[in-house]
Amino acid sequence: MISAAVPRRLKLSRELVLLAILVALVIALSLMSPVFLTISNFLNTSRFFVEIGLVALGMTLIIITGGIDLSVGAGLGLVSVALGFTFKAGLPLPLALFLGVGVGLAGGYFNSLFITKLDLHPLVVTLGTLALYRGLALGLSRADAVSNFPGWFAYFGQFYLGAVPGQLIVFIVAVAIVWVLLARTRYGRYVYAIGNNEQAAHFSGVPVARVKTALYVGTGLLVALAAIIYTSRVSTARADSGTGLELDVISAVVLGGASIYGGSGTIAGTVLGVVIIATLRNGLTLAAVATTYQVLILGLLLIVAVFLNEFFRKTEE
Amino acid sequence: MSKAAAMPRSETGRMPAGVRTLLLRPEAPALIFLVLLAIVLAFSAEGFLDPANLEDNIARVVVLGVIALGVNQVVLSGEIDISVGSMLGLCAFAVGAVGESQGGLILPLLAGIGTGVVAGSVNGALVTLGRIPSIIVTLGMLYALRGMILVITGGRWITNIPSDTRALGLQSVAGVSVPVIILVVLLVVVELISRNSTWGRNVFAVGGNRRAARFAGLSAGRTRFLAFVLVGVLTGIAAAIYVGRAGGVQTNAGQGLELQVVAAVVVGGTSISGGRGSSVAAITGAVLIGVILNGLVLLDVPAEWQSAMLGALILLAISTDALRRRLLREQPS
Repeated sequence: MISAAVPRRLKLSRELVLLAILVALVIALSLMSPVFLTISNFLNTSRFFVEIGLVALGMTLIIITGGIDLSVGAGLGLVSVALGFTFKAGLPLPLALFLGVGVGLAGGYFNSLFITKLDLHPLVVTLGTLALYRGLALGLSRADAVSNFPGWFAYFGQFYLGAVPGQLIVFIVAVAIVWVLLARTRYGRYVYAIGNNEQAAHFSGVPVARVKTALYVGTGLLVALAAIIYTSRVSTARADSGTGLELDVISAVVLGGASIYGGSGTIAGTVLGVVIIATLRNGLTLAAVATTYQVLILGLLLIVAVFLNEFFRKTEE
Repeated sequence: MSKAAAMPRSETGRMPAGVRTLLLRPEAPALIFLVLLAIVLAFSAEGFLDPANLEDNIARVVVLGVIALGVNQVVLSGEIDISVGSMLGLCAFAVGAVGESQGGLILPLLAGIGTGVVAGSVNGALVTLGRIPSIIVTLGMLYALRGMILVITGGRWITNIPSDTRALGLQSVAGVSVPVIILVVLLVVVELISRNSTWGRNVFAVGGNRRAARFAGLSAGRTRFLAFVLVGVLTGIAAAIYVGRAGGVQTNAGQGLELQVVAAVVVGGTSISGGRGSSVAAITGAVLIGVILNGLVLLDVPAEWQSAMLGALILLAISTDALRRRLLREQPS
């Protein structure tokens, strides 16, 4: 109906709007706090958003296929407990780390079993595994904490290369890998195809179940990475680590333009979404806004973001 | 339902028609499981059969059950509401604050219901008018409402609530506690509305096949909107019971309740994909959760394992539902 150039320009405008929001945020927050607009603060902020960002990469792909994973926060807690408490029980830390990664992969695979084999909606499945993983973490740790890690473990979450935090480098590498995967490979096209019309994708020969399994397992891997970085950053393994992470992650992905109905979304958008949310959180903290208000603001932000998204989509059509 | 009736003809052909109809009710598997579990607990857990313990099993799930009645209608209509944990907290604060300053029972109760209706209407409007998926709306509201509690109260707890405000949680009539009576009355009322009113039938139609319902001239938007409002009304009533039983309100009141409510609804036998289920199913699920939690305590299982049990139970219930649907599909009609 409309020439191809018009949607392209409008699509650009969505990311421009995001950038404009980010700029406005930065200006507003730097007025509220003098230390906000400094390079050291930005680098410092990045230490906190990498965990959200890593998981958001996997979540973007899942949301593009029309799925969702609510269990990521609980999964982070379970991985943290798994590595911390096996270490406390006498397992050498490198092995405990591998075990943690294994738990993350297994958690993702367990989610995918219900979703692909039983054809259940990811929402209910991951709502169930959210309770299960958090409960396992609580039960196994008996609501206790482990914190006497050896010094080298701090590298994962507290290492600096010059002024650049180590996890920022991990994040940039992960972004590059997932971006290539989504935008430049056949696998990435499969992800969009499933999100646009799962049945049509199936009949066109897309291995739907295998792609979905890979997505949830891959997200499990990212959750495990985030858990290791988080546990190292706070030097503590606790069952309640990552509580509410799913809200931050889903907000970032949706803010970045991925449709919750599936079929659209980009890594660039998600990264912008992650940075906006991290900026907001960091800025609000620096401006001494209580965390209670931050919860309220984040919840409202999620709803507004989805609303704007669907509004943009309608203009595009 | 016609599909369901055709299913087990081969195995149950010799059964009396009444028994077969009963076995095909959505809540039948959960009820059978509940009876079996009660028998097992009666033998293994000391004190399970005490009348006081049996009533406590139900009394402890009244808040859960009342809210589950509402969420059950939302799920039947093909949507979901996971904001109820925070909604209960906010309603409980409304009840507590009005009770603290005004006393009495009616005003605090109305304040609770009013708060619930407003929150439920926001959910419903965003889902139906804003066309945002209910999971996102209610996930956002779960956090926004909890944030609102903290902002409004500034972290303050309400502790000195007069006893007449607490009447719904404290009193008992003829040896049966008021919360249990309220639960039974609401179950009957909601089930009657669900079976006999136009709206109640529309909920099944919209949840079963929204496009078909729309082509048949039903207002899918209004039907779902009212389901969300019903959740608000029932959460307001539940809040008055909660305040009555607890005697105070903390800022984390109702935290995590949304998981138990969804668990109650799907474990009881209401299909998460909408269109199939009943109010009896929601209450069966709630009582089942109460009995399981009670059993864990009686069997000395540490409280930390409760969440894991709840999660396993949800997964078991939805898997059973999925297998049932698969069997129905494979059965030649």
